[in-house]
Amino acid sequence: MMSLPFVLFACAIGAAWMRQRGVSVGFWLVGLVTMLILFRVHVTEVLSIQL
Amino acid sequence: MSAELSKLLNTLGLLAIGMVLTMAFIDQVWFGELPCPLCILQRAGLIAAGCGIALNIVFGPKPSHYGIAIIGAVASAGISTRQILLHVVPGTGFYGPDVLGLHLYTWAFLFAVAIVVGSAIMLLSDRQFSQVQPSSGRLKALPLTAVLLFLILTIANIFSTVALCGGGLCPEEPDDYELFSIND
Repeated sequence: MMSLPFVLFACAIGAAWMRQRGVSVGFWLVGLVTMLILFRVHVTEVLSIQL
Repeated sequence: MSAELSKLLNTLGLLAIGMVLTMAFIDQVWFGELPCPLCILQRAGLIAAGCGIALNIVFGPKPSHYGIAIIGAVASAGISTRQILLHVVPGTGFYGPDVLGLHLYTWAFLFAVAIVVGSAIMLLSDRQFSQVQPSSGRLKALPLTAVLLFLILTIANIFSTVALCGGGLCPEEPDDYELFSIND
């Protein structure tokens, strides 16, 4: 599951390589959202910053 | 700035991202420092930023491509910030070795900020956008190499992450690969 953003970004680069700009931006956007969801999933503990 | 110069600078930027990703791989494979989940997501963030730069190289410079690079870099910087804050209080430990006095997640933050600042500086030049780019133009050797290297590093990250985490989420502090063992 953690490799999903890389898969989507690789598809975005591949689409750009094939000169499909719209498809590339679409893959990039889905990859970004997936990355942010995975970030949220891994942020489980509250920051404890007491200076 | 002409579109050609902009393309060259974007190529150098993409090569710089490729160099950072390569160094992360060297640290992982050669020195055996397995990346944490946030480290993996920081790599993904840098690749997200690199996608915008790659679009500039393939299709010619466009403000929207710089926007993509900035959004990816800000996401990467946000993830790095989270990891810096986890260890900012003295006595809360750290993750991985330091390089020139800074940990890799701090370097990742600084690099992401550099992408944002670099993209903002590039956006200051309007002349690069006024020149029409041929949509079917073939890439020259250096831009071609940069995009190809970037694609290869992205695919390498797919295999690396699957090897490390399998099909699920990654452990918080991995001590071995999920698919094979290096500690036997």
